[in-house]
Amino acid sequence: MSSKRISKELRDIERDPPTSCSAGPVGDDLYHWQASIMGPPDSPYAGGVFFLSIHFPTDYPFKPPKIAFTTKIYHPNINANGNICLDILKDQWSPALTLSKVLLSICSLLTDANPDDPLVPEIAHIYKTDRPKYEATAREWTKKYAV
Amino acid sequence: MTQMKSKTTPITSDYIDDPNYEKVHNPIFDSENISSFTLTEITDHKTDSGVLSQDSEFEIEDFAYSDDEFVYDDEENNETYDSMLSQPIKQITKKEMSEGSVPNLNYEVLTTQNIFKNMLSRLDHLQPVFNIPREDILLLMQHYDWNEERLLENWTERMDELLVEIGVSQKTSAVATSLEKKAENPDISGVKTKRGIAFKQSFECIICCEDKDTQTFSLECGHEYCIDCYRHYIENKLHNGNVITCMDCSLALKNIDIDTVMGHDSSKKLMASSIKSFIQKHNKNYKWCPYADCKCIIHLKDTSSLAEYTRLHFSPFVKCDAEHRFCFNCGFETHAPADCNVTNAWVKKAKKESENLNWVMSHTKECPKCGVNIEKDGGCNHMKCSSCKYEFCWICEGDWAPHGKSFYQCTLYTNDEKSKKKESEDLSKIMKKYTFYYRVFNEHEISAKLDWKLGQTIGSKVRALQEKMDVSWIEGQFLTDSIKILNEAVEDLSELLQIKDPEQIMKNKLEFYNKSGYVENRMYALMECGRDLLCKGICKPTD
Repeated sequence: MSSKRISKELRDIERDPPTSCSAGPVGDDLYHWQASIMGPPDSPYAGGVFFLSIHFPTDYPFKPPKIAFTTKIYHPNINANGNICLDILKDQWSPALTLSKVLLSICSLLTDANPDDPLVPEIAHIYKTDRPKYEATAREWTKKYAV
Repeated sequence: MTQMKSKTTPITSDYIDDPNYEKVHNPIFDSENISSFTLTEITDHKTDSGVLSQDSEFEIEDFAYSDDEFVYDDEENNETYDSMLSQPIKQITKKEMSEGSVPNLNYEVLTTQNIFKNMLSRLDHLQPVFNIPREDILLLMQHYDWNEERLLENWTERMDELLVEIGVSQKTSAVATSLEKKAENPDISGVKTKRGIAFKQSFECIICCEDKDTQTFSLECGHEYCIDCYRHYIENKLHNGNVITCMDCSLALKNIDIDTVMGHDSSKKLMASSIKSFIQKHNKNYKWCPYADCKCIIHLKDTSSLAEYTRLHFSPFVKCDAEHRFCFNCGFETHAPADCNVTNAWVKKAKKESENLNWVMSHTKECPKCGVNIEKDGGCNHMKCSSCKYEFCWICEGDWAPHGKSFYQCTLYTNDEKSKKKESEDLSKIMKKYTFYYRVFNEHEISAKLDWKLGQTIGSKVRALQEKMDVSWIEGQFLTDSIKILNEAVEDLSELLQIKDPEQIMKNKLEFYNKSGYVENRMYALMECGRDLLCKGICKPTD
């Protein structure tokens, strides 16, 4: 059942790709995808291309897909392993959500970080106390790892 | 089905039918019937254990000591606990005990069903206030973790908003909030869909993406999915106790909807998990019976008496319906005459000791000769007991002498019982063989790990030294290489020393001298370097 749903999402993404994102399976494995997100222009990640790995669980869409950044990124809600702290990837997941909606949410997370619920407290602290420094570091990392 | 008459809702009747219910009284409304346990029972219990010592006077002195003796730390301070165990106990007068300052412990024994039943009866009282269907009040209560006061407070402040937020009713176009995730959904703007199950031919469910003739379910929001997907979705959500909403919006599924989709009684599971989370959140007043598989819950209404119990070093022992006695404060089984802190300290200590023992058992072997526990922290399997100097093999625990050069013999499985080839023995033999190989495997694995660790430490030490001394990478490489070359030279030298033919020795004399000179020079250089390090205080002799 999950393969049918994933195939449909793939068709939809190919037919009508979401702005500034792309995604597709890695090789023949329908359950393992790779996605890329363009850094939003109004964020310090502008100009960077960030890659993510996506694993669909076998009981997708009743369980959320497992998504992680493979490109290093300086962000209060994304840690060094690329794990993302996003509610819709955890308890707020709903079967009615689709991968393209999730990718768009991740895009908006890049624009508007959530420092009050951080995965990397150090970055969140800098984000809240010294915004220019945070933006400078994020830009630097983007230049270093994502361009 | 949204409108329900009070008393005859399916949920209510389900719980009335429950055989367990009759035993226990309604805690909120039948206050005279509350099964209460008073001081007499507690003190009875205390003297029960006193009978064993035949000396009730001693008993009282023994378990009670006054507050100023100790400072009770909430932190796990082992030293405090240890001192608590060893400190002499200050006497407490008999008078102080008999003054009756220990308050009554009023508690009741409940089950999740009882609690749910009570909640339902609360609904009858709340209905005139809310003036909405009982099922909807239930949703509100569930959302507010059964906290009536907070619910009422919010209710009077923002009635309509609350109904939308919790998903009891749909938002009207006038109250536009951000809660609606999918404003463009064509179904919403159109006619209101009927809540419930429908049968559709060639229905394409957007969740499973299958096109089939199937039953579907939807709420008034019109988000319609096939019944299989809905079942799967609800099944996943039943256990966390939260209100279940439509998959695409915040409209809530009522218990009747859950039962419609899942078949009868499934909403009971959800309610039970909701009550469980309620108990977890109110663990000051509610405690699960700690005995395995016991479903009883002890509800202590007035927790103020607990402080008084602690002050007098009593423990609030309670008894559940299954006759399990335990301490309400710490959750251990009855531990009179010791109080909770002393018990806690003792249990912690015992646990610590047993962990030590476990470690010794799993990480060491006894010396086959003197029986001292030996831990292998690296190196080969040739062991020498540091206490009796017995040399043995770590794998087979036999004497090392016969191993000699063929010390790989004991890692081979020997089948020494060829003559006895009985079928009945085959199984145990296989098992024995397996255990043998497993052990060998384990030993080697441990050895490999230890050696890897050693390598890591050496590497990190070299790096640390480099950093401390501000040595460049090349210099560091030189030092490590020097050690390597030195080792190789030593090997070569010893090879030369093994030559027995005198002529050959003469031939190799030059080489020998070269090598030994080289080794000597290197050794001095290294010693020089080591002395420098020690002098500058960069490393300690133990490093």
